[in-house]
Amino acid sequence: MSSTTPNRRKRLLFAAGGVVAILVVWQLLSLVVSPVILASPVDTAVALAGLAWGSKLWIELLITLKRLAIGLAIGVAAGWVLGIAAGVEPRVRSFLEPLRWVVMTIPAVIIALLAMLWLGVGDLAVIFVVAVIVFPTMYVNTLSGATSIDRRLTEMGRVYRFPRRLMLTEVYLPGIASPTVAGLTLAAGIGVRAVVLAEVLGALSGVGHAFSRAMSYLETAELFAWIVVLLALLAAIEFGVLRRLRRRVTRWRKADS
Amino acid sequence: MIVFDRVSKSFGALRVLSDLSFHIGGNQIVGVVGPSGSGKTTILKLITGILAPDEGTVTVAEGVVGYVFQEPRLLPWRTALDNVAAPLRAQGKTREEARAAAGRWLERVELGGFEHYHPAELSGGMAQRVSIARAFAVEPRVLLMDEPFGNVDATLKSSLMDILESIIQERQTTVVYVTHELIEALRLADRVVELVPGQGLRELDLSDRGAVAREWLAGALGDLVL
Repeated sequence: MSSTTPNRRKRLLFAAGGVVAILVVWQLLSLVVSPVILASPVDTAVALAGLAWGSKLWIELLITLKRLAIGLAIGVAAGWVLGIAAGVEPRVRSFLEPLRWVVMTIPAVIIALLAMLWLGVGDLAVIFVVAVIVFPTMYVNTLSGATSIDRRLTEMGRVYRFPRRLMLTEVYLPGIASPTVAGLTLAAGIGVRAVVLAEVLGALSGVGHAFSRAMSYLETAELFAWIVVLLALLAAIEFGVLRRLRRRVTRWRKADS
Repeated sequence: MIVFDRVSKSFGALRVLSDLSFHIGGNQIVGVVGPSGSGKTTILKLITGILAPDEGTVTVAEGVVGYVFQEPRLLPWRTALDNVAAPLRAQGKTREEARAAAGRWLERVELGGFEHYHPAELSGGMAQRVSIARAFAVEPRVLLMDEPFGNVDATLKSSLMDILESIIQERQTTVVYVTHELIEALRLADRVVELVPGQGLRELDLSDRGAVAREWLAGALGDLVL
């Protein structure tokens, strides 16, 4: 374990260097490009502070988070349940395949426009877009996990007459835990992009709408500030929740050095 | 105890067992030898009931079956303790009762102190010992062993066989031990039957085990004997 710590420190150092490099390049570019096109890191930070100090950032962020949470919950739950069903029963898989293909093929912006057409402008349309766009990712990952469960383990369970409940808790669910978390990670990232897209096109509130409004008024520094907010949101989900979940679910694997 | 009555089994176009009949009495230790593909594992799976014969019947007296697979087949996300405990919970024991019994069996196979290790942290031999502990922990009426030492080195195999021998001698269990190493079967078994592809089952005469072993070794070593 002690030999991995210097490696991890080195990796973090290089990552920090990468962030600094991005900031430096950004600052240098902002010196030669019009502030209407590219706000500087300093102007962005000032705009971000202004948003955070007032209530605007928190109100819009909460609205977006609410829509994201509901949309993700619906899309992830549907994808997980149907992914397992399709993994267990090939006929279900065949039945769902056309739907999966259609949803994954239609561009996200078309789904957002259809949502506006069917559900108008507001929460329902945004939640619909998130759920629909997230569903196939979760479905595909769960299906992959369900069909990859080691048949030798299920055979062992049958030999020892595991009842259905034990087969589920000892073999199936742990077996698909890793792919489920992988699917969740992807779904979260896709979900954030989907909620912003839906809000840009079809909402009068939320981070996406604020982004769109800043763009319309050429308030470039505020626009960049909202981008930082989005990145912070994704980072909080990825590093604050999903990585911990992934580590917990896969702690039985030998640690890589 | 275990009766095969004119059993046939095919997998697609491959007929693995053909009109096979034999019986194994209670508390007997029977070695089943034969080349790869002769149907040894198929016999074990028919006894467990996870495979059904295409023709004929397999009758097994009521009771719990323990199984030691060729590879350990441990749940990677569970500790050694919980791997041994899982079949006990399938029998209706509480988690605490199952873990207590599992802990005793891990001690028995000389894995005391490794209860909370996951399979990825165990060597191959240790994992196979967990598998053996699991098979015995259910207090099987019938114990099936499918080349349990096929993937371990000779030194480890010898120590594992010592453990196995001592446990089997303590218990009233019918054992069916499948191996392609006749020497292993001769060491453990009361009877040894040989599966000959295309010819069925042949019972070996064990009145002179040494002679049987020498004959087998001569066949195995072939020209090297000269």
